[in-house]
Amino acid sequence: MAVAAASSGPGPSRGGAVRAEGVALAVAALALTVLVVLPLAFLLWGSVSAEGRLTLDHFAEALGSRLYVQALRNSLVLGLWTAALSVAIGVPLAWAVSRTNTPARRFVHLTVIVSYVTPPYLTAIAFVNLLSPNAGLINRFTRDVLGMPALTFDVFSMAGLVLVTVPHAFPFVYLLAASAFESVDASMEESAQILGASPWRTARTVTGPLVAPAILSGALIAFVNAIALFGSQAIVGLPGRVFTLPTRIYALFDYPPQHGLACALSLLFVGITVAALYLQRRYLARRSYGTIGGKGNRPQRVDLGPARWGVLAFGAVVFLVAVVAPYLTLLAVSVSTSWGLAFWENLTLRHYRFVLLEYDVTRRAIGNSLILAGAAATLAMGLGSLVSWIDLRTQHRGRKLLDYASLIPLGLPGIVVAVALIQFWLRVPLPIYGTLLIILLAYTGRYVPLGVRSASAAFHQVDPSLEESARVTGAGWFRTFRAVTLPLARPGLLAGWLLVFVPAIQELSASILLFSSESITLAVAVYNLYETGALEPVAALAIVTMVIITAAVALATRLGRIGARGLSAAGRTPVGP
Amino acid sequence: MAGIEIEGVTKRFGATTAVRDLSLAIRDREFVTLLGPSGCGKTTLLRLIAGFTAPDAGVIRVGAATLSSPAAVVAPERRGMGMVFQSYALWPHRSVRQNVAFGLEVRKVRRGEIAARVARVLELVGLPGLERRYPAELSGGQQQRVALARSLVVEPGILLLDEPLSNLDAGLRERMRWELKDVQRRTGITFVYVTHDQAEAMTLSDRVAVMHEGALRQYGPPREVYGRPADRTVADFVGRVNLIPGRVVRASGEVGLVAVGGGPPLALALPPGAAEGQAVQVAIRPESFELVGRPDALAPGPDAGLPGKVADVAFLGSALDCYVTLADGSRVRVQAHPAVTLEVGQPVALRFDGRAATVFLS
Repeated sequence: MAVAAASSGPGPSRGGAVRAEGVALAVAALALTVLVVLPLAFLLWGSVSAEGRLTLDHFAEALGSRLYVQALRNSLVLGLWTAALSVAIGVPLAWAVSRTNTPARRFVHLTVIVSYVTPPYLTAIAFVNLLSPNAGLINRFTRDVLGMPALTFDVFSMAGLVLVTVPHAFPFVYLLAASAFESVDASMEESAQILGASPWRTARTVTGPLVAPAILSGALIAFVNAIALFGSQAIVGLPGRVFTLPTRIYALFDYPPQHGLACALSLLFVGITVAALYLQRRYLARRSYGTIGGKGNRPQRVDLGPARWGVLAFGAVVFLVAVVAPYLTLLAVSVSTSWGLAFWENLTLRHYRFVLLEYDVTRRAIGNSLILAGAAATLAMGLGSLVSWIDLRTQHRGRKLLDYASLIPLGLPGIVVAVALIQFWLRVPLPIYGTLLIILLAYTGRYVPLGVRSASAAFHQVDPSLEESARVTGAGWFRTFRAVTLPLARPGLLAGWLLVFVPAIQELSASILLFSSESITLAVAVYNLYETGALEPVAALAIVTMVIITAAVALATRLGRIGARGLSAAGRTPVGP
Repeated sequence: MAGIEIEGVTKRFGATTAVRDLSLAIRDREFVTLLGPSGCGKTTLLRLIAGFTAPDAGVIRVGAATLSSPAAVVAPERRGMGMVFQSYALWPHRSVRQNVAFGLEVRKVRRGEIAARVARVLELVGLPGLERRYPAELSGGQQQRVALARSLVVEPGILLLDEPLSNLDAGLRERMRWELKDVQRRTGITFVYVTHDQAEAMTLSDRVAVMHEGALRQYGPPREVYGRPADRTVADFVGRVNLIPGRVVRASGEVGLVAVGGGPPLALALPPGAAEGQAVQVAIRPESFELVGRPDALAPGPDAGLPGKVADVAFLGSALDCYVTLADGSRVRVQAHPAVTLEVGQPVALRFDGRAATVFLS
């Protein structure tokens, strides 16, 4: 039997693994089909059909009507300005933090991270409180106190939209540029210097070309994310009549809904996103300059002299605009009886009582979002684990296809995911439209790429020989997975869970088309309250959102650490048979 | 003209002193190796010469010009030196031609001349015809040659090399040694070469500077450093050495009789300050012994050598590597002719020329 097993490749105990592989493959393929492939197919069909017949009318209208061409142009303008400003802010900060002796580098880094995790619609609402043409705090100050009405800045404009979008886009440039700056070994620059190149020439001919692909790649990701932010574009863009693709698509679902046109616009939107991401991948691929290992990377730090205080001041301005201004404003508004009255005489906590205890909509929204974000994070990580495990540990021919399918949502803006799900589920005789379930499907689909990447990184930490030695001692496939793979990959999986939870609890772009009064989410509740003009409860709810996000991050960090500690303890304890 | 004068240079990083009050003079057109274990400060010294770091004390001069002092440091780009890094530091986004031409472009050399000089230097390092390749498309040895060419093309007076061969495999490393030496001879450039490989230092250098814990321990031609190590650290680091305990039986000036390894007293050169009755260590290299397989055939007396027994023996092909236990119980390593047959336990005698031994005070 041993001979037979050897000649036929897999040994007898592989039976279980083969069966498990088959089940895993089937589950993953089915899930991705339902979450991504079928909705996308229905989106495609919806864009080229009317009452069951093929037609190109929707595309003709999308590309012919001034309404939609204007939206397309606005989206591109917004994306390009945001990307350009993200480079202007992100690159100097990245350089300062990774390559200079600027003081308080950790503080600058933290500023970027906080800016990154803040929900974009909160920034938008905060800046409306500061810069709306009539009631905005700063505008009132320049007009009434300084007497300089010319300095009034109208946030309800393209410039205002760019202002509230950049804080959520420049972190992408910063993070990619910083890691690129750090990976340039000092000897690369020193060999230019010793050959007679001035510092400026070294920067231009050596450092610049080496980090340029990363910066460009960051700019493209900033672009893609900027044009997809429904919240800021609705809050700041709509009052100023600056329509963009997401807000136009959203408007098409007002009665009477124009599904075909919405599908066509969505596909145009996807086209732009995918084109940008394709360029990004190409530039990032060019970055894979093989560095020849020597003493390991040792980035060169520049002594800026007194100029370092100027750089720090720049970081402080970013901190002020991207973090202090929005948070302080929201906090102040949330404790005012009414925003605009004398502040210190009108302090109150009643808006918190209102959103947390009295108003059933916000109470339900908080509960829903906690459930949805927790479930979506778990499902996305579960599916992500399956897909990456199949990719890393099996030889199935279909595994690459599965991997690609799981990455499709990267090219789908949130609102497009919602449109596609609506197209699919309205034609399927299962009444999930308007329930929490369809929102859960949207979240899981949107964040599956994050799940796959995190799980893949986590499983890469587990050397296959560790699993093989468990198998050799007689453990079955499932036991091996439970006793070896899972515990070792747990810290990475937990980090991935958090990576999905944080954006899911603030998700607005897809939820806005899918919610009902029963399945309302936190972000939608904030948006709806804002629409009714209830500024103070909105601010209170915004602060509550941030508290939940902070608590989730803290909890997950703690859990992750306990997981890691448990792991190292397990490593010391001999595992019985 | 391109000699280097290092005077009393000290460099600290926080609490650690990487280079300690070090003085060293390198002559024009000389090939000098800074040799020492990792962490001995040799790379720091090289970077001080290059101008990447400023000394905390002391000065570095080239010719008449003071390039480095605690008060002022001439920037690396104004020194006109060349440097080859351990990682080669080839720019991955530039082709071989663009890498090599860089220094000439900075010097605003005419385009036609650049092409000619790039071609000539690639010829010199044995890489003609690869101008259009990118570093990632080259083997380790080829990358090494491009890095060398990039530094040589600007015809620097001084070339600094930081363990340039350490990333190559053994065979290529040995071949590159000869090529480097050849290039240095043909170009007449002053080479300052950092390595922890003593064989490399011996092969290449006109003079070797042995460093330990930031200080210069010995500076001289390879033969002298090998045969007359200044102290035990140098003896230990440069080649293999036996340190056999002994005692001064009679001291008279620079020569005395030393009892060593339980054998008859031998006439050896004594270090200054050696007195009668003092415990010493006698350093002898394994290949300095003559191993006599039949000690009973020798006439008694100082020429009879040290009696001992074979403790272990290994055949290396070109030599026999064996351990011999001496009469006083100390073990020494001996390199014997491969044709000799030895059995473990066999009595032997070890003879050596007193001039090949160095006595250190214990």
